[in-house]
Amino acid sequence: MKTPHLSRRIRALANCAPITEEQMRDRSMRSAVFRARTSDEFANQQSFDQAVAGLVRSIPIPPDIAEWFSAKDLVSPSKWTWKKTVRNPAVLAIGIALVVIAGVLVFQFVARLNDFPGSATARKLLTIAASTRSVLLDPVSADAGTLSDLFFMKHGLEHYDVPAEFADFRTIGCRVFEDDQSQRVAQIWVAEKRIQFFLFPAERDVKTGAVLRFPGWRYVHQEGWVAAVTEHNGVCFMAALPGREKDLAPYISKTKQ
Amino acid sequence: MLGDARKAQEIFQTTLREAALRAAHGELPKEPFWLFRDARWRCLEASETDLQAEPLEIDEHDIVPEAPSQIEQLEPAQLAIWISSAPDPQRTALTLFYLDEFDYREILDLAELKLSELSRLLAVGRRQFQAWLDAMLPKKPNV
Repeated sequence: MKTPHLSRRIRALANCAPITEEQMRDRSMRSAVFRARTSDEFANQQSFDQAVAGLVRSIPIPPDIAEWFSAKDLVSPSKWTWKKTVRNPAVLAIGIALVVIAGVLVFQFVARLNDFPGSATARKLLTIAASTRSVLLDPVSADAGTLSDLFFMKHGLEHYDVPAEFADFRTIGCRVFEDDQSQRVAQIWVAEKRIQFFLFPAERDVKTGAVLRFPGWRYVHQEGWVAAVTEHNGVCFMAALPGREKDLAPYISKTKQ
Repeated sequence: MLGDARKAQEIFQTTLREAALRAAHGELPKEPFWLFRDARWRCLEASETDLQAEPLEIDEHDIVPEAPSQIEQLEPAQLAIWISSAPDPQRTALTLFYLDEFDYREILDLAELKLSELSRLLAVGRRQFQAWLDAMLPKKPNV
């Protein structure tokens, strides 16, 4: 006699296998019957059950009782409830996918809320800040506020001014380089807390060429770095450090918006 | 459940009368199968007053391919009496299962059983019925 190895649960289900296909509504039961039907023992059980059910069906039902069931099934099929629908793997998968899509959309929307003219450049410069070593910069030991003259005299960069909030910071080095859009960027490294300053041209309207201004200070975040950006005279100033917004907040004046 | 057509008819009518009264008062339960559950308890109550079979160690035999031909020789009443003499919950499990109107989850709900319990009750029931068939009826080759 063929008796395939079946787990306890499959054996339990096979013992309760329905007599007719109509009652085979459950996926786990269908799977158990599929696994068990190769055994002679199960085949005997099925023919035994069918014979007993046939005998039960032959039990005469009194006419006054039979008329109650003449037009309808004895039991109405179980309803497709919300609970059952939610537990369906396909519905569950679609639900999870929709939640993920909604999450991404919300994340992008929230990120957009914090955008300002020049935020894309600021993020790129944050990546540069994270990868820069101080040895790459020309050593300069001075107050950051005094470097405006250096940038103007040496590089012809007008209005590359360090705001008053950061003007007193002692510098370690500085450099001027061109970014991937051939914009000239000034980078300053100061002694305090690995803070770096960047000065770069503010974003302009592509049609009119007018500077796209924004008031006060705006924060950007990128891979564990945070920066505060402000615009003045068509030049953006950015102070960046590794950490969170609260690490940078004490340096920003109360005029921040 | 009872092995007695007259009693079964009485219980059926009592159950329906009670259901009609509850419907008239707007007190019908929302749970599915409440009518069957109600009828089941009435059957169990009714059978409590009957003569009770003594608890015996009943033989069990493996189900044989000739079982269908043995069952064909039975009268429906014999099957009804055999099932009705089984102790509950085996009686409920066998009745609901061979009625072939419920799937196993519905039987578990109605009989308030776990899957392993229902499985054991049905398996043991089959083997005991086979032993009874073997004792009562000669085997005929299954064609």
